Amino acid sequence: MKTIFFTGKGGVGKSTLSATCAWQLAEKGYKTLLLSIDPAHNVADIFDTSVGHKKSKFSTNLYLQEANLDKAASVYIEQNIDILTEVYSYTKAFNFDTYFKVLRYSPGVEEYASLTILEQTLRNETDYDFIVFDTPPTGLTLRILALPNISITWVDRLRRIRKQILEKRHTIHNITGKYSEEGFRLAYDEKDDAVMQKLNEIWQRYVNVYKALKGEDNSIAVVFNPDYLSLRESQRILEGLDDLYLPLRAAFNNKYEDRLQDTADEVERELLGANGKKVHIARVPLVPAERRNTYKNDFDVTEAFR
Amino acid sequence: MNPLDPLKRTFQFLKSFSSTMDTAHRNRAVGLTECEVRELENMFVLLLMGSFTGVPAPPSFISAELLPYLEHEIKVVNRRSESASDALSELSGCFDIT
Repeated sequence: MKTIFFTGKGGVGKSTLSATCAWQLAEKGYKTLLLSIDPAHNVADIFDTSVGHKKSKFSTNLYLQEANLDKAASVYIEQNIDILTEVYSYTKAFNFDTYFKVLRYSPGVEEYASLTILEQTLRNETDYDFIVFDTPPTGLTLRILALPNISITWVDRLRRIRKQILEKRHTIHNITGKYSEEGFRLAYDEKDDAVMQKLNEIWQRYVNVYKALKGEDNSIAVVFNPDYLSLRESQRILEGLDDLYLPLRAAFNNKYEDRLQDTADEVERELLGANGKKVHIARVPLVPAERRNTYKNDFDVTEAFR
Repeated sequence: MNPLDPLKRTFQFLKSFSSTMDTAHRNRAVGLTECEVRELENMFVLLLMGSFTGVPAPPSFISAELLPYLEHEIKVVNRRSESASDALSELSGCFDIT
């Protein structure tokens, strides 16, 4: 299974290009899923069909899906509310458990929801040859892509401290035989400690996503237009990807016209500079007005991902 | 009175004396380690819930996932914050300085 992420500034055409890419891959016989993780979905508009939050079949090999970020967020919130209510079960006696529902409004839940969908898709949808992701504009995409890495760093640090705590508790237990404090049974073994177990679980989850993002089977493509505004934003994407050690595989200079050749040359030179040789660069001509905002494009987008 | 009773009582006294001494020594031996554990538990929660104390915190969902299992550690943080203004005596206590 190969994955392709289309990133770029809002309005450069990453949704249409990702749609074109998915369609062309499907036409070539590859079983392809086009999944939008942009909260403002427009896959349905591009294919002029109704696309649900579940996968829907568009043609023999092409499946479309607009991820339900609200649902992913509420599933996550509900899970935590359930655990909290279970641990603090006495709150039910006063009907206070309903107050935990305020967690729904925690900041960062949207990024978490996107990450959850990404993780579940990578784990479950292995029977596709290609999964093409249509992503939200730069800022949010970079935050989503950074999340596994940030989480791993944090969890690593927390695990190290937890390990020290458990080792010291073990020493105390060995010398005094004591294993509880004020009625709390204090775990001293990693296998016994719920916190360590949870940290390990979170760590494994994000390592899997990070490995998949960094792996050979993943491609990240940046879409830009021959203008300086999209150039500056694309440079920020490249810097962000560099910081995360995520490889850029392709760059699409979209909506290209011959009259913009000088600007296009300069934008490509500035954007890719020394990296130019490693990245597949393609100029995608501006499509005629009647075919704009659809998946139909004569330009072969899939060339970059072979 | 059984002539062996005083002997038995003495033996029992010595036994309980030795057991008390043993416990005392063991507790003394781990005193510093217990202080260290408390500090580490305190640090663990402060790092995890940095947003409470105004320091950079991990992504909120990591804190939220671990929160239900941290009742003991949160109590430690509470107690630690009560004695935070008197760090010197806390430290003296740890090192058994009177």
